[in-house]
Amino acid sequence: MDKKLGVYICTGCGIGESLDIEALKKVATKEFKAPVCKTHPWLCGSEGVEMVKADMTNEGVNTLSIVACSPRVKFDVLDFSPALQDRVNVREQVAWVLPAGDEDTQMMAEDQLRMGLVKLNKSTPPEPYLAENMSKTVLVVGGGFSGMNAAIGAAQAGYPVILVEKEAQLGGFMKTMNKRVRPPYKELADVDLEGQIKKVEAEPNIKVFTAAQIEKISGGPGVFDVTLSQNGSSVTERAGSVVLATGWKPYDAGKLEHLGYGKFTNVITNIQMEEMARQGKITRPSDGKEVKNVLFIQCAGSRDENHLPYCSSVCCLVSLKQATYVKDQDPEAAVYVLYKDIRTPHQSEDFYRKVQRDGGIFIRGEMTAISEDGNKNLVVEADDALLNEKIRLEDLDLVVLAVGLVPTALDEMALNLDYRQGPGLPLTKYGFPDSNFICFPYETQRTGIYAAGCVRSPMETALCAEDATGAALKAVQCVESTAIGASTFPRSGDMTYPEFQMQRCTQCKRCTEECPFGAINEDEKANPLPNPTRCRRCGTCMGACPERIISFKNYSVDMIGSMIKGIEVPDADDEKPRVIALICENDAYPALDMAGINRIPIDPFYRFIPVRCLGSINLVWIADALAKGIDGVILLGCRKGDDYQCHFIKGSELANTRMEKISETLGRLALEPDRVRVEEISINDYDKLPVILKDFMDRIKELEPNPYKGF
Amino acid sequence: MEQVVGPKSSGGKAYDQSFAREVYQKVDSGEEIKMCMQCGVCAGSCPLKEKMDYSPRKIFTLIRAGQREKVLSSQAIMLCTSCYSCKVRCPRKVPVVDVMHGLAHYALRQGYKPREETALFGQKFWDNIYRLGRIDEKDVAQRYFLGHGLGPGIKLMLENMNMGLGMMRKKRMKLLPERPIKNVKSLRKMLDKAKALGKGGAV
Repeated sequence: MDKKLGVYICTGCGIGESLDIEALKKVATKEFKAPVCKTHPWLCGSEGVEMVKADMTNEGVNTLSIVACSPRVKFDVLDFSPALQDRVNVREQVAWVLPAGDEDTQMMAEDQLRMGLVKLNKSTPPEPYLAENMSKTVLVVGGGFSGMNAAIGAAQAGYPVILVEKEAQLGGFMKTMNKRVRPPYKELADVDLEGQIKKVEAEPNIKVFTAAQIEKISGGPGVFDVTLSQNGSSVTERAGSVVLATGWKPYDAGKLEHLGYGKFTNVITNIQMEEMARQGKITRPSDGKEVKNVLFIQCAGSRDENHLPYCSSVCCLVSLKQATYVKDQDPEAAVYVLYKDIRTPHQSEDFYRKVQRDGGIFIRGEMTAISEDGNKNLVVEADDALLNEKIRLEDLDLVVLAVGLVPTALDEMALNLDYRQGPGLPLTKYGFPDSNFICFPYETQRTGIYAAGCVRSPMETALCAEDATGAALKAVQCVESTAIGASTFPRSGDMTYPEFQMQRCTQCKRCTEECPFGAINEDEKANPLPNPTRCRRCGTCMGACPERIISFKNYSVDMIGSMIKGIEVPDADDEKPRVIALICENDAYPALDMAGINRIPIDPFYRFIPVRCLGSINLVWIADALAKGIDGVILLGCRKGDDYQCHFIKGSELANTRMEKISETLGRLALEPDRVRVEEISINDYDKLPVILKDFMDRIKELEPNPYKGF
Repeated sequence: MEQVVGPKSSGGKAYDQSFAREVYQKVDSGEEIKMCMQCGVCAGSCPLKEKMDYSPRKIFTLIRAGQREKVLSSQAIMLCTSCYSCKVRCPRKVPVVDVMHGLAHYALRQGYKPREETALFGQKFWDNIYRLGRIDEKDVAQRYFLGHGLGPGIKLMLENMNMGLGMMRKKRMKLLPERPIKNVKSLRKMLDKAKALGKGGAV
């Protein structure tokens, strides 16, 4: 494509008052020979937009540099697709945070413009990757309540669904349930699983495989090849995306001997209690007599470092439900609940109220001892936190342990993925297959595979239904995006994908190992085999590659390297240091914008370069920058570790590891390791960001100027 | 044969629901405490919390634990001044003020005298209303003082004489006795009926 560059400078919002626009225009026209360069006092107004559009039709401008506000605002108004375009942020990052009319302010704006123009120069229009025979079928794994809901959801949205259940019948755990507590959480409700199953069976878009296992899933979104085994025979189906709804298992009560389980006949789990209620009558297991005094022990093995460290969220509601079974059988029966906290999320608090009104006695505290007399009556001793006393509960007929939920993702290879990084889904710290709990619910660490229901997070049935619909919609979004070659979130709609210059590959395996999504398989000779539909376009492979053979159409090692080279570095005598801030587009960049909106001053010696993820930062950029005389480099990205907030899971962690290694390189160049720093920041930390920047700049000013200036 | 898991101690009071049931049935608004979820907003709102032996929250949990003696002889149930902060703030809409008064009344009926002073004053106040249909402040005060016995009563009167005179000078209290309201007999009938219907009354 022949590019014809047009540079449009907006002088509104204080930009015109702050900067010397004529000098800025000169950078575009003289240095970069831009054939069209115009200013407008209000570019995002209809007149401004029309001006740009007129140039596109009349002058043939097809490459646009919009010098105005942050690319995060007015993105819908200042959208001139399909032209190649880039936004140079001179409002939030320059005009609003630096003194107007100052020499340094002007230099900053000019450098930002130079970098923007280099970026356009090095970009080419993306060509979407389209695989052959792409499917829009949604594969749902697990035929329980969540799975069936997901299947119905996707089918009703008009997509073919394959529903796979390992057992002979649909229904999952719900088959063992006696009653449900569901909105509006006032009374017990019937389970009505048959209705649900009939709905699945009646839906023409759903193909059900029961008593089936998944032998293998290969390919990627749009082109998943699923091998199913059923009754000893194998079938292969093609699917576009996957909903994982394999559910949960109760925590192994055998490990709860300290609560008397296995030792006393009348100590049972909530699972056994449910079974007993389904059989009709709640009795003492020891002699079959009707129960008069029942105690529920909450958090049996949950929120306990030695067992399940997390809250299973539903056990409180389950115990409240089972307390109602007891009260319905005998309103005079005494029901005690020994709890740490009653957690009844959302409106299910109403059911807690109901049980209180029915006369349930709630005791906050922890059990200390349990004993049994000759008649198999139980006595429980506890520390009552609210009375601040030791208490006893005597003559108990039944003690019910509210055991928690364990996600099946922990030990089951339900998916058998044919991925370079193993057949299972990577799990977060408690064994749930999440990727970013805050920003992307349902999203696992494998693109196109969405978790729903209790395998994703402990939740009660009403939430499972909601979750299943949510995951089904994500699955639909995935097949639709993949069909046009666009990325799923976080870079929704991104048409670029990594391209490999294979002749220079040294088979070092870094890209295949470090891809957070397992997108790159490898052959026997360790050559990378990319699966572009699995890719989320974070660029972690690009950051990893020592040979720099991986690049995107509008994002490459060469591009950012050239942007850095485009920065003007004053002589050491000028006492104007230059520091490059490589900022993550997901959290750090919006935080910087917010600091700008709040007009918090920042240092004029910074040059900001947005990156897709810290994981995409190639070490060569840092070497380039320092060799050019840049005094320091700061990397601003998301939090890493167990509670990571990185939008691409491992990017910030990888960047950190790589930066630890760079101090060696710096030593070789006889430079101080302090010149490179990595900082974690979240989107709401805008007030901390200027402090971090100032702190780093102070350190840089303490150091001697970079000796490589002027070479 | 007894089997034990965990360190068994001989101490610890046994939970007993009989007192809770007694409260639900016999105390005015007693059943409402079922809804208490022990958040402690009542205790945090109470201006007299510092003077109380048990906060309203703790009174409720003691009732559920069956500790009859502690609750009915508690000073706290007599200390409520009906400021209504707790009742207004309770997220579970427990009428804490009503429950506290109900408990105080029930304690007195059961022969407990957690705070004799308060009980005596309350009784004289109530008598006054029953007799006049309104309050005659000097009459209530006189009867309350004399309720301590003749000798101590006169002593208390003398001690408080200056305040009384001061109030009269500022026209906060009349010299002449208050007259009963119109048709005080029908008011008394209403009060008698309410007493017969209800579980208790105000203290």
